[in-house]
Amino acid sequence: MSAETADGDSPDDDAANRGGDQTERTPLRRSETGRWDGIAGVALALVGVGVVARQPGLVLTGAVGVGYAVYARIGEAPEATIEVERTVSDDTPAPGDDVVVTVRAHNVGDAALPDLRLVDGVPPGLEVVDGPARIGTALRPGATAVFEYTVRASRGEHEWEPMRGITRDAAGSQERTTELAAPTRIVCTPELSAGGDLPLRGLTTKYHGRVPTDVGGAGVEFHATREYRRGDPVKRIDWNRRARTGELATLELREERAATVVLLIDARESAYAASEPDADTAVEASVEAAGQAFTALLDGGDRVGIATLGPRDCWLSPGAGTAHAARGRETLATDPALAPTPVEGGFYQSLWFRRFRRRLPADAQVLFFTPLLDDSAASLARRIDAHGHLVTVLSPDVTAGDTPGTRLVAFERRERLRELRGAGIRTTEWGDRSFPVAVARATGRWSR
Amino acid sequence: MSRREVTTDDAESHDAADDRERDARPPTLAVVASLVAGAIAALSAFLAAPTGGALVGVATVGLLAGALRQSPRILSWAAGIGVIGIALAGYLRGAVEPLLAAGVALALAWDLADHGIALGEQVGREARTRRNVAVHAGTTLLAGGLSVAVVYGVYLAAAGNQPVAALALLLFGAVALASAVR
Repeated sequence: MSAETADGDSPDDDAANRGGDQTERTPLRRSETGRWDGIAGVALALVGVGVVARQPGLVLTGAVGVGYAVYARIGEAPEATIEVERTVSDDTPAPGDDVVVTVRAHNVGDAALPDLRLVDGVPPGLEVVDGPARIGTALRPGATAVFEYTVRASRGEHEWEPMRGITRDAAGSQERTTELAAPTRIVCTPELSAGGDLPLRGLTTKYHGRVPTDVGGAGVEFHATREYRRGDPVKRIDWNRRARTGELATLELREERAATVVLLIDARESAYAASEPDADTAVEASVEAAGQAFTALLDGGDRVGIATLGPRDCWLSPGAGTAHAARGRETLATDPALAPTPVEGGFYQSLWFRRFRRRLPADAQVLFFTPLLDDSAASLARRIDAHGHLVTVLSPDVTAGDTPGTRLVAFERRERLRELRGAGIRTTEWGDRSFPVAVARATGRWSR
Repeated sequence: MSRREVTTDDAESHDAADDRERDARPPTLAVVASLVAGAIAALSAFLAAPTGGALVGVATVGLLAGALRQSPRILSWAAGIGVIGIALAGYLRGAVEPLLAAGVALALAWDLADHGIALGEQVGREARTRRNVAVHAGTTLLAGGLSVAVVYGVYLAAAGNQPVAALALLLFGAVALASAVR
């Protein structure tokens, strides 16, 4: 396969070499457009009027109409013998980058395509920001049409769908659709920005970490005093008390331990909601926040895992270390379960819950990222909490308030948050504010 | 709150998903070319007979409205009015040559407007369609031109002094031949 791309006319054999193994063509459907329907009738009516009125001009005009009727019936929509070559300016862009996509369509067939429309299969998760990904043109054999458009990269792995080639015959009375598959993909992995300090609840492992516990021992924060026992370190003896009363007492400090945390992201279809058609979905906001939490917790020495609530299975068991950080970043960026558009398939919550509980380590607590747009998310949070895995609900606010319907949804969501708080589950929500700010504000409210 | 569309392989939903950001009106070139062709048709018909020309002018306005409203139905009605205009112009003893020109130009005007609507639906106004429209206009004009050449040539050569019925019979012979060939 030659790397040389030919503009305009190129030798046919060269084109044939490049073709075939690259673009897969699937004929989809052929149809009559019916746009010239009735032309013969109109033409013959003109002839008839001309005969009756004895006007040669009308007969001749009718005859020209018959000519058009013949023109509409001859010819057939040619197959879109197109070789598609798609190049992207950057196949590993950062989120928000503009990626220029250049499409070259080369007519490798022997017949001219008098009317060709190409509609590129832009991945559903990408937004076209400049120029439509479409062109209408006509191609001689061996000619090439080039068009460009720009997409804005978003998190995830994006695969182009087959391009749709619609051909018509010269008169446009027949139409044929062909799918032209030329695989192209871009992978967009965001850098995980380090979030602020994320307070965890008091369910910890036996390892040393940064979550203050109610267990007395070595630490920095005062917890209690107790009677001196032989063998206590000298520097933890309460010397003030000794001076005052003559008794020996030992200071107990809060032990700080590491926690095991599982970041659970709601990726059911209902979570793919946004306040505006162009805005980021709740899943997107959740993934971004989960990324920040992931980095922050890992830096704090906790063991962090990732799971999704959705039709597709995704589970990264809690771990620590650099390799685990890389795995987590990749999971959050490109896992199909967290794709930018909803995953197809049925979702059975009870089955999911059984599997989730089986995997969840006994001492793990759960950070549940959900927009809380339905009751089942709230009840799930309470169920996990009831099974002893302390739950913190972090909820991106994607509700809008411009119509009665959206106001109702917002109201129901607030009620759910209130009920969760009433049930003793920590919650925080964030809308326009950034996630760390919301967490910082909530931290003051949360008791340990 | 709006839910993002799930895109499937289905063409309709695919189109529906990106209709939001796409201008589905017909390309400017197609509309302008259709208007020009319509004006030529009206002028030719006016030269043949002013009443007929006025009707064809109405048809041209109708074609423009149909193209802007993206309605093939309006286009069909407008084309029908144009045909009636031409028939009227012919009935009022219009000359042969302007009538032929008006017929071809009206067909071209309708064809371009209809083509423009289909292009707008499938590709959109902002996409590059210049070449497509030009090629389509060219072939339609060529088909019309060839028909006129054949018909007018036969009229001049063979049927100049024949009665109109002979012309019609000649035409039916041609149609029968064409269907037999097909």
